[in-house]
Amino acid sequence: MTFSLLEKTVLAIIIIGALGSFFYEVVRRLRIVARGTGTLPLDRIPQRLIRTVKEVLFHRRVIGGRFWPGLMHGLVFWGFIVFGVVTLDHFATGFGTPLLSENQHHLYSIVVLPFSVLVIIGIGFLAYRRFILKPHTLGKISLTSGIVAIFIFLLMVTYIYGEMSPPLLIAKVNWWLHALLVLAFLVLIPKSKHLHLVFAPFNIFLRPFDTPDHDAVKIDLEAPEEELDAMLEGLTHLSKNQTLDVFSCVECGRCTDACPAHRGGGILNPKHHFMLDLRQPLLDGGSTAVLDQINIEAGWECTACQACTFACPVGNQVEKSDEIRRLQVLVEGAVPQEYQKLFMNLQETGNTEGAFHSPLAERLPKFTPDKEYVLWLGCFARYELDPNFTKSVENYARILDSGGVSYGILEEEWCSGDPANRLGEKMTFQMLMEHNMEQLSQVKKVTSMCPHCIVNLSKEYGKFTDIHYRVEHHTQVIASLIDQNRIDVSSKAQGAITYHDPCNMARTMGEVEAPRRTLRTLAPDFFELEEHGTNTLCCGAGGGLWWKKEGTGRTHLVRAEQIVNSGAETVVTGCNFCYGMFNQGLDPLTPEGRETVKVKDLADLVAENLA
Amino acid sequence: MKIGVLTKQVPSADSPLKLDGGGKWIGEENVTFAINESDAYALEEALRIKEETGDGEVVVASLGPQRVQRGIREGLSKGADRGIHIEESLPYTSDPFLTATLFANTLRNESFDLILSGLQSDDLGLGQVGVLLGEMLSMSTATLVMETGISDSTIRVKRELEGGWFQWTTLKLPASISIQSGINTPRYPSLKGIMGAKKKEIRSIARNEVDDGGATLQTLRKVYIPQKVKRTEMIEGEADQVVAKLIDIFKRDIKVL
Repeated sequence: MTFSLLEKTVLAIIIIGALGSFFYEVVRRLRIVARGTGTLPLDRIPQRLIRTVKEVLFHRRVIGGRFWPGLMHGLVFWGFIVFGVVTLDHFATGFGTPLLSENQHHLYSIVVLPFSVLVIIGIGFLAYRRFILKPHTLGKISLTSGIVAIFIFLLMVTYIYGEMSPPLLIAKVNWWLHALLVLAFLVLIPKSKHLHLVFAPFNIFLRPFDTPDHDAVKIDLEAPEEELDAMLEGLTHLSKNQTLDVFSCVECGRCTDACPAHRGGGILNPKHHFMLDLRQPLLDGGSTAVLDQINIEAGWECTACQACTFACPVGNQVEKSDEIRRLQVLVEGAVPQEYQKLFMNLQETGNTEGAFHSPLAERLPKFTPDKEYVLWLGCFARYELDPNFTKSVENYARILDSGGVSYGILEEEWCSGDPANRLGEKMTFQMLMEHNMEQLSQVKKVTSMCPHCIVNLSKEYGKFTDIHYRVEHHTQVIASLIDQNRIDVSSKAQGAITYHDPCNMARTMGEVEAPRRTLRTLAPDFFELEEHGTNTLCCGAGGGLWWKKEGTGRTHLVRAEQIVNSGAETVVTGCNFCYGMFNQGLDPLTPEGRETVKVKDLADLVAENLA
Repeated sequence: MKIGVLTKQVPSADSPLKLDGGGKWIGEENVTFAINESDAYALEEALRIKEETGDGEVVVASLGPQRVQRGIREGLSKGADRGIHIEESLPYTSDPFLTATLFANTLRNESFDLILSGLQSDDLGLGQVGVLLGEMLSMSTATLVMETGISDSTIRVKRELEGGWFQWTTLKLPASISIQSGINTPRYPSLKGIMGAKKKEIRSIARNEVDDGGATLQTLRKVYIPQKVKRTEMIEGEADQVVAKLIDIFKRDIKVL
C-alpha cells in the first residue's frame, strides 16, 4: 500500500494532535502527582520488578480476585502487547517505511490473528458483563466504556480484514479506519479510567510494601507555631503515591465488594469515597489538598481492615480512614462522643477502659530481665473486655509454661495506642507510644495475643524510632514450640472446625501460615472458610469500631453470619477482638435448634490438647 | 455577647472511690478528674452561642484546688477565651450558697450577658449554684435547659419539666441558665486549640481574697459509703400468717407496696 504526500501530511498532523492531547493530559496528571507529599519509593527494586511482572504481565491479582472477568481482561491485555509491533508497523507503513518486511509481517500475523480473536472474545465477554449482566459493583453505565469496547472490537475487525488482502481501495479505507481508531483511543485514554493502561504498571511497581502505609503524624507541641500550622495543613494533602492511585483507579469496584462496612449496609463505598471522589477535585484545583473532600461519615465507618487495598488490581492503597479521622480529630475537633470518652480514658489512665486495676495482671508473673518474653496483654485481655478471654490468656500462659518458655508481664503496660492511632488521635497515640517504648527499652522479645497491639508495637512504632525488640504473635510462638517439639500436643478429630484470620495478622503482618501449621497438627480435618488468609473478612471491630456505638450498619454481623452458615461447630481465631465479636454475634444469628458455634482462641485449642 | 461558664472538676465515673482519713471527702490518689458532664454541655452551648452571634467572649470560671486549672485549660483549648480560677484547698466548699457567693463576688465586675452552668455536679449533685448566682447578680434564671435561642436582649429556652413535659420561656438578659446534658454535641479540643490555649490567660484568685459573706449555711458532716447488709429471714407458720407477714415486710421494710 502506498500513501500520497497529502495522506502522509494529514496522518502526521493527526498523530501529532493525538499524541499532543495524550501527553498533555498525562503530564497534567503527573504534575499533580508531583505536588503530593512524601516521595515515591524506589527501594528494593528487584522485588518491585518481580511484583510488577507477576501482577501486570501474569495478571495475578486481576485473575485471582475475579476469575472469569480477570481472564477475559487478560486476553485483551495480552492481545494489546502482541499488537504493539503491529500498531507501530501500521503507522510506519503510512509513511512508506514499514518496520516489518512482507515476509515478517505474514509470519507475525500467524501469532497475531489468533490473539485478535481472543481479544474479541475477551472484550465481548467484558461488554456483555458490563452492559447486560450489569453487576452492582461497576456502578452507573459508563459511556466511555461502551465506546472503548466498540473501538477495541473494530480495531480487531479492521486488523483481521486487512490481513485478508481486500481490494486496494477498501484496504486503504480499512487502513485509515484502523489508524484513526488507534489515535482516537490515544485521546480517550488519559481522560478516562483507561488511563490505567499507562499508570497501573508504574503504580504496582511503586506500591508500598506495608499495608496500611499511612505516614506517621509526628506532633511536637514545643515546636514553633508556624511549624505546627504547616504540619496541620499537610494533613489535608494526599501523598504522591496516593495521588497516583487516584489517577490509576480503574473503577472496577473490587474494593467496594470486599469492604465489610459496605457489605454490612453502611454508606462507605471505598471506590467512591476513597478514590473517585478525589479525582475531580485534584484536576479542578491542581493541588493535592483534597482530603477534606472525603465523606466524613463514611470515614468513621471504616474498620481499617485493608481488604480494599488487597483487592485492588492496579496497586492502590485504597483505605483513607486514617487521613479522614486525623483531620477530624486534630484539625476539626469533631469526634463522636463515645470516642471522646475513649480518648479521655487513654489520656488519664493509659488504658481504653479508664480502669485502675487488672485482676488478671496481678495473677500473672511479672517480667524481669532474665525472662525471655514480655507477655504483652493489651487492654482487651487486661481489663477483660470479654471476660471469657481471660481463660484464653491463662491457656497461653500454660502453653508457655509447658514449653519451658519464661515470660512475664509489664506492670506499667499502657494501651499500645491502636484505637487512638486508627481513630486519628495521633497525639494520644504518641503519648502512649513514648511511655511504652520506655517500658520496653531493655526488652528483646515481646509476645502478644492481640494483633492490634502487635501491629502498633512493631510497624507503627517503627515509623517513629528503631525497634530493637522482636514482636511475636502467640500463634507464631505456639507454632514454633510445636515445630521444636517443646510442647506435646495430641491430634484428634475436632468436629467441623474452622479458622478465622484476623485482618491485622493476615494482611498487615502477612502471617497466615503459623496458625494453620498448628491447626493441621491438632485438627487435621479443619476446613477453610470461603474468605480466608489474606482474603479474610473483618469481624467488624477493627479501626477502633469495637468502641463505636451501635449504628444502623451490620458491619459487625457479616462475618459472624458467614461462620454460622459455614456449618462450623467451632471457630478458632487468633485475635481477642474477633473472639469478643463472635462471642457476642454468633449466638443471636444461630437458627433455632442448632447449637451455637463455639468460639476459641488458638491457645484454647492447643491447651485443651496438651498431652 | 459576653458569656461566663461555670465548670467544676469532678472524679471521673470509673475512678475507684475511697474515703480519706477525715471521713469528710474522698482520697484523691488514684482518682482521675474530669469536667462535670453537664458543665461540658454548658461550655459547648456557650461556644456555639458565641459562634452564632459572631462576636463576644467566653470565660470559664472554676472553683477548686490547683488541679482544676487543667479543666479550665481544656475549656480554653476547645475555644473559650480566658479562665478565672478561685483557688482553694481542702476542705472544699460544699455549701452551694457559699459557692455562689464566691462566684458572685468574683464575677460581678465581668458584667456577663449570660452565665451558663451545668444542671448539677456529678459529685455533690446539689444543683443550686447557677440559680443562686443568678439571683445574687440580679439576673434572670432558668434551670434544666434543653435548647436555647439567643437574640440581642433575650434568650428563649426550652426547659425540661416532670413527666415528659417541656416549657418554652423567654428570659431577659442578663441571665443565668443551668444546662441539661445532651443539649448539644460537645467538641473535642483540636491540636490548634490545644496550642492556642497555652497562650490564653487564666486569672487565679485565692479563695480567702474573695469576700464570702462569712455565712456558712450548710456543713458537710460526713461522707460515707452506704452499708450493704445481706440478711435472710425465715418466715414460718401457717400460710395465712406467712402471707400477712410477707405483706407487712413488703410494706414496711422493702416499701414496694
